[in-house]
Amino acid sequence: MSVYITSTGHYLPGEPVDNERIEAVLGLVHGKPSRLKRRILQSNGIRQRHYAIDAEHNTLISNGEMAARAGRACLDDSYLDKSRLEMLSVATSQGDLVLPGFGSMVQAELGVADVELHSSHGICSSSMMALKAAYTGLKAGEHDNALVIASELASRLFKASRYEAVAQEVDFNAEFLRWMLSDGAGALLLENEPRRRCFRIDWIRGFSHADSYPVCMSVGRAESDGRSWQDFATYAEAEAAGALLIRQDVRLLDNIVKLGVDGLLRLIDEGRVEVGRIDHVLCHYSSHYFRGKIFDMLTQAGAAIPEEKWYTNLYTRGNTGCASMFIMLDEFRRTQSHRAGDTILCMVPESGRFNNVYMQLTVVEE
Amino acid sequence: MESKVATQLGQECLQGLMRVWFDFERQLGRVPIIQRLERGRFTREDYRNLLLHLRQQVIEGARWITRGASSFERDYADVRSEVIGHAKEEHRDYEMLEADFVAAGGALEEIRAGQRNAGSEALHAFMMYRASQPNPVDLIGAMWIIEGLGQKMASDWARRIDEATEGDGRYTCFMRYHGENDDAHLDKLYTLIDRVCRTPEQQQAILRTARVVARLYALQLEEIEHG
Repeated sequence: MSVYITSTGHYLPGEPVDNERIEAVLGLVHGKPSRLKRRILQSNGIRQRHYAIDAEHNTLISNGEMAARAGRACLDDSYLDKSRLEMLSVATSQGDLVLPGFGSMVQAELGVADVELHSSHGICSSSMMALKAAYTGLKAGEHDNALVIASELASRLFKASRYEAVAQEVDFNAEFLRWMLSDGAGALLLENEPRRRCFRIDWIRGFSHADSYPVCMSVGRAESDGRSWQDFATYAEAEAAGALLIRQDVRLLDNIVKLGVDGLLRLIDEGRVEVGRIDHVLCHYSSHYFRGKIFDMLTQAGAAIPEEKWYTNLYTRGNTGCASMFIMLDEFRRTQSHRAGDTILCMVPESGRFNNVYMQLTVVEE
Repeated sequence: MESKVATQLGQECLQGLMRVWFDFERQLGRVPIIQRLERGRFTREDYRNLLLHLRQQVIEGARWITRGASSFERDYADVRSEVIGHAKEEHRDYEMLEADFVAAGGALEEIRAGQRNAGSEALHAFMMYRASQPNPVDLIGAMWIIEGLGQKMASDWARRIDEATEGDGRYTCFMRYHGENDDAHLDKLYTLIDRVCRTPEQQQAILRTARVVARLYALQLEEIEHG
């Protein structure tokens, strides 16, 4: 049985925020402008992004509401009434609440009844895990349709007050993602029959390498002794120890390039990917810097995919973590020329602890 | 940037070698002493221990390369020259390694009296065996792993070791030195891949030797915990 992505949708909160205005929204830490901001922005190439918080640090829309809006946009553009939705599969890095699962909150916001529910937990690749759960559900004949939503509200972690609450000075690894991540949600509708021009999912395949590498991106761990935020006597102590900052071990980041290329070479070897047949590449690279590196390594291996086939909206929509791939696919579908028979390769290399997920789509016309 | 290898078989071979390398890096990530290094929980004693075990293989390394060189027959005279050049450059590397061991607080007699661990024995035996075969083109696979490791030591391990042990670079010369000529070495390897990977059998042999060397090298590092 084939599974098709028959509709897509997205939600980006508020007006786009350009590089000049970021700090006005996120705030000056101890009243001082960041010395790293320019350098990090230069490397990631992002020019605009959206935040769900305002300059007074009020949250204007919750993560669950953003997810529901993306889901609604996706359903509104589909042939399916939401009363007939059978499965809801949802991903985020951090829900509004620690418990219950994010999926429950999104279902309630969206107002869909009796669905089978799935929540994926992780970072950038969690949306692909949610997608795969839905895809296999349809493939197994369990359901005729599924709505998959990925949503992120990272900006709450980046408020100046979060950094000021930490006893020591904030290091590069703790500041790195402040100039990288932003908010938004994306949604895909899966059905077991094609509608108009849509995408058939040929396969989804993930390779996780957490057994071989240390943690590269985290929230919840104290840098000094590796303690979990839950191991402190009070949450205030955990915050003072920096355990609640979102951190990236930038020295480990090069591994993401190697592992991204490794997975692709593996898929070529298995015969799943034929480089010469790929018409479009949608790769969730966190920053422009890595695009070049991935590209060079593929070229070196003789598996280069010409640059004009690569599409991204990273630079204008921001890096929205797990929502990025869905927001990218949605904009691709609406704005980029593609024809029946085209092959689309999607890649989500996640640096959290190195989980890489790949997907191949074929454009079909009903 | 261009594709480094020109022929179709060579390209497939390079893709295979890259995958073997990536897999090797993951194997390294599971080795206890390397995990400690990557987590910054690595002592000077760990470092001396690492050198002690590496030295027994490094000192033998020159032997399989020279043995391999002599196994190339007349049709491979150009390859033989390359391999001899490589052997000449590296056959006294162990002296630098010994000096690092001493600079890191070790005694020269100790490292000189060191024995090969189980992994080093297996690696050495395998290399000498392969190098003794006529026209051992698969040695390229071994060189790929050893060269890659040299680069990893220079670009990553040396810095981590100095950071974790509060060193100033004085006792990580061996590892750092390996980075100096890396690009040139790698370019030579790419050329060699095109030169010696001409049949599917040769391609298979190169990849197999690379895989075996990677596994045995990782074993050698695992064995550090056992003596």
